[in-house]
Amino acid sequence: MTAHTARRRPLTGSLPARRVLGHGATYLVLLAAAVLTLGPFLFSVMTAFTSTTQFAQQGPLSIPSPPVLDSFVGLLTSADGFVTPVAVTVQMVAVILVGQMVFSVLAAYAFAQLRFPGRDLLFWVYIATLMVPQVVVVVPLYLMLSEMGLRNTFWALVLPFVLGSPYAIFLLRENFRGIPSELMDAMRIDGAGTLRLLRHLVVPLNRPIIVTLVLITVVTHWNSFMWPMVITSGPEWRVITVATSALQSQYNNNWTLVMAGTTLAMLPLVILMVIFQKQITRSVGEATLR
Amino acid sequence: MNSRRPLVGWLLIAPSLIGVTCFLILPVVLAFVVSLFRWDLYGSRRFLGLDNYVSLLSDGALVNSLLVTAIFTLISVPVSLAIGLVLATQLVRALPGSAIVRVIVVIPWVCAPLALGVVWKWIFQPSVGALNQILGVRIEWLTDPSLALPAVAFVAIWQNVGYISLFFQAGLTRIPGSIYEAARIDGAGPAQQLWHMTIPLLRPTTFFLAVTQVVASFQVFDMVYALTGGGPQHRTEVIASLIYNEAFGASRLGRASAVAVILFLLLVVITVIQQRWFSKRITYDMS
Repeated sequence: MTAHTARRRPLTGSLPARRVLGHGATYLVLLAAAVLTLGPFLFSVMTAFTSTTQFAQQGPLSIPSPPVLDSFVGLLTSADGFVTPVAVTVQMVAVILVGQMVFSVLAAYAFAQLRFPGRDLLFWVYIATLMVPQVVVVVPLYLMLSEMGLRNTFWALVLPFVLGSPYAIFLLRENFRGIPSELMDAMRIDGAGTLRLLRHLVVPLNRPIIVTLVLITVVTHWNSFMWPMVITSGPEWRVITVATSALQSQYNNNWTLVMAGTTLAMLPLVILMVIFQKQITRSVGEATLR
Repeated sequence: MNSRRPLVGWLLIAPSLIGVTCFLILPVVLAFVVSLFRWDLYGSRRFLGLDNYVSLLSDGALVNSLLVTAIFTLISVPVSLAIGLVLATQLVRALPGSAIVRVIVVIPWVCAPLALGVVWKWIFQPSVGALNQILGVRIEWLTDPSLALPAVAFVAIWQNVGYISLFFQAGLTRIPGSIYEAARIDGAGPAQQLWHMTIPLLRPTTFFLAVTQVVASFQVFDMVYALTGGGPQHRTEVIASLIYNEAFGASRLGRASAVAVILFLLLVVITVIQQRWFSKRITYDMS
């Protein structure tokens, strides 16, 4: 005890100086992180608002004067522009989101709360499929959906994902197991069927994890690229990532246009992320606690 | 009531069971089958046995892409974990203004790797790219064979650091402050605290991140596609790029499937090792 207080004294003496120094270093790290993170976004957005003539004369670091919307207007008005890809992407994400949520909630509830033969074995099969990455199945999926005559259709974009996700089922099951059985029994005695139970008890009680999963699903499929690129061709069912990639290879040196494209592709999720930052931070906790 | 339950259970899982069977299990089986054939995009096929595997090994394509993927992983995972940890230790101090930085650093993680790849391709562009303009040099970042892979790894690190720091922040806030109080009383400086206390105490988080990041980096595709497409001279052709280029570039679906099978087996091995190690978890309750 006395040894502790003796050692403490010199530290307390220099505390103000240490604190300023410590904070200075912290702010330096935070500033560097913010600048390095935002820099590329800033460059690309600036270039998107620069006129092609100014870009050609002054290069990528010039501040747009005056800022022009030419690139965005060009992207949104031309026939092979971004209007169709945005519409296709929104539809694709919406259909996958609704399907995955509904079917994952149903399956997770069955795995968590019901008894039926083969339940545990099947659950392990679902867990095992978490190891299967998209790139391993992309060639067989391509062959299967081509065989079904679905190449370059909207169905090909959504079908492999719409029937539920093992990851979502896994996370939901963990949460559904914690629902007090007295609550479930009370509702069952009142004559509630499975669907009413889900709608009025299970889903409302687990809103946080469901919001988390909605966010993960939207981000994953808004950003998905390989499968849509492989299974669609031409502008009809082009999603926004494929359109961005096509824009880049088609207008290789028209960087003002290409940067307007990347801005449009990324902006919706950046806005979503800023709005739902708390849920995203929490989703990290969910992932580590498994 | 109980007699109805088995049927209800099966009905509820039916849609997802169809999905898992048709779009995850069946394709894996099919990948094994296709890998035994010469199979092109236009439907012609011929049984080859293991010839695809033999040719992949003998012409060096597989070894090259495994090596590229391994180097990419060995650069990007340790560096992004180290930077993510340092960033997290500064963010959890919760100084005024750090809440904004916490949001900013996660922004790249929600953006499409494909779109970020396009942005960085432009930044790396030799003549009009922002990076060379700032540095006042004319370096061929993405077309120089010795620079391309480090450049790709750099972009991956840049995208993931903020997301990784979120996990470390969560881990750091679970460490009781009293431990640091005791260390400070015993005269441990910030560097000693980091090395002797924070890093060991964060081992579960670090391990979780290392495993998930290694698995993710073995699957990286979009960003490489946008930045280099696998070039120059296959120097950035990661496993996923090789699968894509073989299948949809060279119309060799059999060879592509053989690579996919090997990737799948590799990921199974990594996951099994992870499961073995995860049982050894430490607690924060030091008493």
